[in-house]
Amino acid sequence: MRGQRKWGASYMNNPIVSKKKWHKQARIDRITQWIVSVPPHLFLVFFLVLPACIMVLASLRYPGEFGGLAPLWKTPGIHGVAGLTLENYRFVLGDLVFVEILLKSAWIAFITTLLCLVLAYPLALLIAHRPKRQRELMVLFVILPFACNFLIRIYAWIIILGPFNLLYSPFAVIIGMVYVHLPLMVLPLYTNLEKHDPLLLDAARDLGAHAWQRFWHLTFPLSLSGIFAGSALVFIPALGMFAVPELLGGTGDIMIGNLIKEQFLESRDWPFGATLSLLLTVTVLAVAQFSARFTQRELT
Amino acid sequence: MRTSATLWSIALLVYMFLYIPLAVVVLFSFNNSELNAQWVGFTTRWYTVLLEDSDMLAAAGNSLLIATMSSVFSTLLGTMAGIAMHEYKFRLLPALVLAPVAMPEILLGIALLLFFRQVLDLTLGFWSILIAHMTFSLGAVAMIVQSRLTGMDKNVVEAARDLGANPWQAFRYVMLPLIMPAVTAGFLVAFTLSIDDFVITFFNAGVSIKTLPLQIYSMIKVAVTPEVNAVSTLLMAVTLTLIALASRIVPDAIHKFRTD
Amino acid sequence: MISLTLRFIFFLLMLAYGCETAFAKDTLYLYNWNNYIADETIQRFEVRCACRIKQSYYSDNEEMLAKVEAGAVGYDILVPTGNTVETLIRQAALKPLDKTKLPHLANMKPAFLNAWYDPGNVYSVPYAYSITLIGYNINKLRALDLPTDSWALIFEPKYLQKLKGRVTVLNSQKELMSAAMKYLGYSIQDRDMRKWEQAKALILRAKPYWAAFSNNTYIKDLAIGNIWVAHGYSNDMFRAREDARSAGRPFSISYFTPKEGAVLAVDNMVLHRSGQQTALAHRFIDFMLEGENSASLSNMIGAGNPNQDAMSLIQPEIARDPNIFPTAELLKNLEMIRDFEPRERRILGRMWIEIKVR
Repeated sequence: MRGQRKWGASYMNNPIVSKKKWHKQARIDRITQWIVSVPPHLFLVFFLVLPACIMVLASLRYPGEFGGLAPLWKTPGIHGVAGLTLENYRFVLGDLVFVEILLKSAWIAFITTLLCLVLAYPLALLIAHRPKRQRELMVLFVILPFACNFLIRIYAWIIILGPFNLLYSPFAVIIGMVYVHLPLMVLPLYTNLEKHDPLLLDAARDLGAHAWQRFWHLTFPLSLSGIFAGSALVFIPALGMFAVPELLGGTGDIMIGNLIKEQFLESRDWPFGATLSLLLTVTVLAVAQFSARFTQRELT
Repeated sequence: MRTSATLWSIALLVYMFLYIPLAVVVLFSFNNSELNAQWVGFTTRWYTVLLEDSDMLAAAGNSLLIATMSSVFSTLLGTMAGIAMHEYKFRLLPALVLAPVAMPEILLGIALLLFFRQVLDLTLGFWSILIAHMTFSLGAVAMIVQSRLTGMDKNVVEAARDLGANPWQAFRYVMLPLIMPAVTAGFLVAFTLSIDDFVITFFNAGVSIKTLPLQIYSMIKVAVTPEVNAVSTLLMAVTLTLIALASRIVPDAIHKFRTD
Repeated sequence: MISLTLRFIFFLLMLAYGCETAFAKDTLYLYNWNNYIADETIQRFEVRCACRIKQSYYSDNEEMLAKVEAGAVGYDILVPTGNTVETLIRQAALKPLDKTKLPHLANMKPAFLNAWYDPGNVYSVPYAYSITLIGYNINKLRALDLPTDSWALIFEPKYLQKLKGRVTVLNSQKELMSAAMKYLGYSIQDRDMRKWEQAKALILRAKPYWAAFSNNTYIKDLAIGNIWVAHGYSNDMFRAREDARSAGRPFSISYFTPKEGAVLAVDNMVLHRSGQQTALAHRFIDFMLEGENSASLSNMIGAGNPNQDAMSLIQPEIARDPNIFPTAELLKNLEMIRDFEPRERRILGRMWIEIKVR
């Protein structure tokens, strides 16, 4: 129940405390509630909600003459366009190529997620069945590459792939993406697999199921929520990635993140960049909704 | 339970996949070749070059300063948010808190860029980076604090109130010690997120201030001498130490407060 | 907690180091192209003025404009190309120069003064110039029997087939599309958008054979031998050639200005209005106008030089290089990029997006 006092509840049933003191406590509780909730709310509304609104507004404006955004209304002395327009949306939706690049980015993110899953699952399975000490050590070694700066992990692949002439190719991009996201898939999978009751598997074995059957009919279904959590943790960031395609990819490996980045930092066509960002946001929200519904269905 | 050889071999391959590139980076930081394409010979001069590189040191200093300030403030706000989410069951706050964590970073970076330039007309620099870092760190801290609170025994705090403590005292002497491990973990997570952040900083840094990831990015694009490898190796060593310390601190903190 | 204390100590050390260097002397902030000034020149100035120079780099005018527009504070000197100087002037982003502080301005070759983008040199002083041309790996191209005189090398599939994955082009709408226009025989000042559409089609046809769009990694890639043909700036190609030579590579790098013509870029020193060190900036500009310092630009990085006084101090090999100091004949074929009207720029910008995504 929203806003219900939790701390002073016992006063209501306490015959010793006077009504006056109870009301004073209630007021203190309400003030506390305000003090604790207002700063984070304020900060987030100001630095999250407002910027999001600005982004929507920006997508409805013209690009400024020297970059940035054109003014909202015409003032004397400013020549050029001003005001609101649907031109950016017409441009984005009128040409299928942008949906294409979004789909292509989603495809790359999907392949990345799939490969991460295939590589992470056996590892997570192994770790989950180890004794406690070994488990913690192995998990630590999975997280450790995160100790290395994200860009440096990409740079490592530039060094490795360069001499083999594999740089500037889709292969390089996928390897880079998988490498950067792999630990993120291992952790949720491992957390989930660790909770599986070993007795279930023993029972299945006793009933005559061999290893693959045990896995496919028991372990795998039980781990679905872990799979979805890990997949979301990989797919969503991968979708918006631009550093990996930029440093490792070729002319045809551009993802939607690269296009958005270019609009803001090079072409200076901010309205178009904002429109693309909104396109990406909608896609991410759709994916999040879809996976949330799937996970919920799994848990019930 | 018997674990098959296939599982072990795949696991080993994955570990190799994770670590061989890092080993290459470290190895080539000792390469005596400016172009760093093939191994020429062993040298430690790139580390000396690195320590004299004032740009790099300035970037490191900036990163540290921003990370510290960002983690302090976002731990404060994040703890408040975690408590608020737990105690008062708002509908909006969880969404607000989770959004920066769940969205691709590029979206948050750009939204903030637009906000800073269009609404605040703020020159991009120290403050824009700081605020940007706080926005995504806040969520991480809040989530950690909240999950710890759900496991906590409610009655303890209520008992404190019954005994006459005001909310502040109840928090300071009862709740805070209990959630301290989460607060510390949140602080460390916020610090790591901030010091390593590339995408959001990339859009909000402006020209005058450089953080370490931005400095590395410009080096990767232009001058790929082994100095980049050297800075990577040092960074890995530093973060490794921090993680090692952290993994000892959190269990220690839990132990300490449980025995108090 | 130990780690917190350690971190704070480290932070304080950094702060101390930063303070020590920042407050010791006056600092001049220079925002320049990559590899567009020799370290030696910087050091010489730092000694002469007892100050520090802090450099930041960009690899594209658009990139510099975008960052400056986003609110760069405190940059004293920028080095924009002509068309960007014009944009900056229109944005009222520059401080006018005080000619009394620039006695060595007299060294400038008259042809470079009073340019179309800054008549009377109110805001700018020419710094160096470069031609956007093609750099290549001599050994590989000879073995493949490919032409080394025309843009066809990077635009025609019949040649590109042999070079698949070994060619990079500049990641710049103006530069790449201008190169295509020149190849098609059009002037880059042409306002007929249909001609630019043809340029776009030409680029899209060649794009599958190119390895990457690159503004600066091509220098290293050429010098190592990963890339055999690169579209880039003359001074960058000069550096690639020198790097390959000094590294003792089994191949050599060379470069040529295509016969169909190319883009000439004259880069200028300007004062940004947010700069704090106006007097120091003027000293630096005057310093770069001295024959000796200007000559080191050409000798060390292979930049074209608008300074008359410097000519005698430039190494003959470089002074005679037609790709760095074009003859009058070649100059006729070179054009400078000029910015179009906003409406046309938007159309071209959208064409560039198409080039990137298709």
